[in-house]
Amino acid sequence: MKEIVSDGTQLCEYLKGMVIDTLKLEDITKKEIENDAPLFGDGLGLDSIDALELVVAIEKAFDVVIEDENVGKTAFASIETLATFIQEMYKDKS
Amino acid sequence: MKFNKKRILITGGTRGLGKAMALAFAHAGAWVAVSYATDEESARKTGEELQDIAHSSLVIRADVSSQTAVTDMIDGIIKKWQQIDVLVNNAGIIRDKLLMFLDENDWNRVIDTNLKGTYLCSRAVMKPMIARRAGRIINVTSPSAITGRAGQTNYAASKGGIISFTKSLSREISRFGITVNALCPGVITTAMTESLDTEQRKGLLQMIPMGRFGTPEEVAAAVLFIASDEAAYMTGQTLTVDGGLT
Repeated sequence: MKEIVSDGTQLCEYLKGMVIDTLKLEDITKKEIENDAPLFGDGLGLDSIDALELVVAIEKAFDVVIEDENVGKTAFASIETLATFIQEMYKDKS
Repeated sequence: MKFNKKRILITGGTRGLGKAMALAFAHAGAWVAVSYATDEESARKTGEELQDIAHSSLVIRADVSSQTAVTDMIDGIIKKWQQIDVLVNNAGIIRDKLLMFLDENDWNRVIDTNLKGTYLCSRAVMKPMIARRAGRIINVTSPSAITGRAGQTNYAASKGGIISFTKSLSREISRFGITVNALCPGVITTAMTESLDTEQRKGLLQMIPMGRFGTPEEVAAAVLFIASDEAAYMTGQTLTVDGGLT
């Protein structure tokens, strides 16, 4: 996982796969998810409860903790912000 | 067996209704964890009974009003058993006083144990349940929440809050296959009802259309139903087992 996290492009692709698999978005491919497109609301149309499942999946996959709702909102704004958040958490861990 | 290898946590499960639930689940094949706050003797006895019946059992001392204690309890169970399939938020206390004489400490203790405890324990099991897309959260409320009772503003408020909490949480997590329901037992034969004098018993019985108190086993049967696969489409509801009291 460290290798994936250290490579921003690879991490974004991995996260797109996670979003699709975790939320069972059968009609969406990784190619259709822009790195900077909003994940919630107008973007992929996810809601705050979908976020719960993503939080659990991200925490488990990357061994990070998202305790604060505001931190979560910022992190989950887009694939790009999520990747940045995870990279920051990994920096703090090491 | 119906609950074969299902991991159950019942807070306040070493006495009274909680114990009846724990034993019922154990007889149905479940692995049963029970928590208690202070009564070591009851905890020891219940632990021994569970060991005789259940494949695996845990007895944990934890103050459910404490975030740290709840986190330690849930983390400890997950470490040993890898999952919790059913959480029964049963731990509760009473500090009955007319409001004029109800001090802040008696108000806070009841709200913290009954309502905050339900919040803390539910929050602690949510993530593992969401990860598995399966689970049952059962919150024990009271007829006091529905009809009110003089001397129980604190207790009724805590139990009424549990009903609202149940409905709201069910709207958050039912889509993950986790049901969240409340159980409302009426006046049940326990040590407390055994200690009532004749007049008190008569007064209570007159309010119950069925003319008798319920048994812990009848309440346990209702909990097992809510926890079962047969109740997979029931969520956000309050199941009342009270002989017609409310």
